[in-house]
Amino acid sequence: MPSSSIAADGSPLGDLLRQLRSWSLVALPILFFLIFFAGPLLYLFVVSLLEPSQTELYGTNVTLQNYAKVLGDEFYLRIIQRTLLVGALVTGIALLIAYPVAMAIARMTPRWRIIAMIALMFPLMLSNVVRAYGWIAVLGRQGVVNTVLTQAEIIDAPLALLYSIEAVVLGLMTILLPYMIISIANSLTGLDRSYAEAAQSLGAGPLRTFIHVTWPLSSPGVAAGMQLVFFLTLSAYVTIALLGGPRFSLLVSMVYRSAMAFQWTFSAALAFVLLGVALGVGALIMLVLRPGRVQGRG
Amino acid sequence: MAAGEIDVRLENVSKSFDRVEAVKDVSVDIPRGQFFSLLGPSGCGKTTTLRLVAGFEHPSAGAIYIRGAAVTRVPPYRRDYSMVFQNFALFPHLTVAENVAFGLRMRRVPGPERARRAREALAMVKLEGLAERYPRQLSGGQQQRVALARALVVQPAVLLLDEPLGALDKKLREEMQVELRELQHRLGTTTLFVTHDQEEALTMSDRIAIMRDGVIEQIGQPREVYERPRTEFVASFLGVSNFFDGRITAAANGSATVDLGFGQAVLSHRGTVGEAVRFAVRPEKVRLGQISTGGFAAQVREIVYRGVTTHIYLDCHGNEVIVFLQNASSDALAWRIGDAVAFSWERDSAVVLDRG
Repeated sequence: MPSSSIAADGSPLGDLLRQLRSWSLVALPILFFLIFFAGPLLYLFVVSLLEPSQTELYGTNVTLQNYAKVLGDEFYLRIIQRTLLVGALVTGIALLIAYPVAMAIARMTPRWRIIAMIALMFPLMLSNVVRAYGWIAVLGRQGVVNTVLTQAEIIDAPLALLYSIEAVVLGLMTILLPYMIISIANSLTGLDRSYAEAAQSLGAGPLRTFIHVTWPLSSPGVAAGMQLVFFLTLSAYVTIALLGGPRFSLLVSMVYRSAMAFQWTFSAALAFVLLGVALGVGALIMLVLRPGRVQGRG
Repeated sequence: MAAGEIDVRLENVSKSFDRVEAVKDVSVDIPRGQFFSLLGPSGCGKTTTLRLVAGFEHPSAGAIYIRGAAVTRVPPYRRDYSMVFQNFALFPHLTVAENVAFGLRMRRVPGPERARRAREALAMVKLEGLAERYPRQLSGGQQQRVALARALVVQPAVLLLDEPLGALDKKLREEMQVELRELQHRLGTTTLFVTHDQEEALTMSDRIAIMRDGVIEQIGQPREVYERPRTEFVASFLGVSNFFDGRITAAANGSATVDLGFGQAVLSHRGTVGEAVRFAVRPEKVRLGQISTGGFAAQVREIVYRGVTTHIYLDCHGNEVIVFLQNASSDALAWRIGDAVAFSWERDSAVVLDRG
């Protein structure tokens, strides 16, 4: 092959050809990404900076009024606040439950670890809509919990379990927990036991071994798990709508609602506020956990 | 420091994993300041023994003492030792200085003193300039020194070394052997060293225990175990040996005449006539000469030039005999394959082995 003989001789031309060939492998995915993600995102950002229009999709004048409407209105600020609260609750509770489970999985023999991982994946194969309806069947006015409690005469009237922040957090948490467990378990499984042993040999008890060694060394998995869960919470429209009810709104519900009301420019601005929340919290997680330390970077 | 004090004592220690006995009834005393090696092939129980002292494993039977304190049921972090791991186990998220200071921090040594002692420990291993680096930015040899500094800075009663030189290349390993030995001499830290490398054990140790299948086959000073191996395993694991089998034909006054089938040998051995004996002769103790000089007749089968020595493989009536000759003069190089030769040894070079 002539091309390989050129590439093999180490000349500048050969180097260039070699580089081109390795780039050609990623060229298609990059092209796809540019056309179907980066492009539309940029377009959406431009739309969010335009005036709304009664007759067209959007006006022509550049303005910050869409963002001013989101960030200047107490109603929307409260929704941002509630979005952050739900995200923090889901992520925090998932972390507390997932870490001990991940530790147990990391200690299993490879065979049992695979079985545990598959068991964790299993619920992810079920549609979120189905699972939300499952929760409705459990938590609804005539759901399992209320029926049992009424018939046992512990309560007189059914409790309003559904359509609450608790129901939303519970529903999201059960859906997203596997992501957190799998991320952390992967991190812990890769940890050589000699790190913990070295800490102990230097006088660290179990608690201090965890604080100073195991926790920081698992931070890449913890950070990845927290980000996954938080980001997925932000966009979990169906679960929020079904378990939160018509009056429970998070940012994602507002994006949907304003788009359905043809408020294109405002909806775009809301979408970017949502993106800003995601990026901000994602950065905060990285800043606090500093997973880069494990690779020896400051 | 009282002389003769025992820093590590293992009393009839056994350890089983799932009914497999990894360590069987091991008893060892290591006096203060001694460099003690556990030597053996992989799976012989040497690492398990070290981990028992460290407290990462708990003995099925027996007792362990560190500096007089019974630690058999004491968790690792309350035992007075520190350890260098085979893979060094430096904390990747901490700098070199933080790694070295870790043990002091766990012992709640106040900040300024901690920093000073960590600095001194790094100076001791000649790494002052690298305090702010991260482990992954260091070479294998530098990581090894950091691990050593981290272990020594806490001034442990015992230093445990789990094949700490195994990850290094040959030249660096030999340098580190000498350096480690010097440092150990200077500090006088009692050291328990685990290795499968017999040369390393001979170079570094005051005393060596050779382990096989969970049992200590022999304990002694390097010269003692090398020159007077008690079993065939010790004789072949530690260096190279020629083995001979024979039957005693005459015995008197602590010497025995043995019929080898191809000749007669006299051994320093109290035996009885008719007893079958097996003995070992080190290749460097075998003398080689012309047929006329007397000895057992043999033929040169192979000659391997090794720089410092020449290895000559003889065929003696179907038995292989290896001879190491120093290349001090060109005598060793005068032999040719196929030459008829005679070999012999001084009486005390033949070591009668226990029948196992």
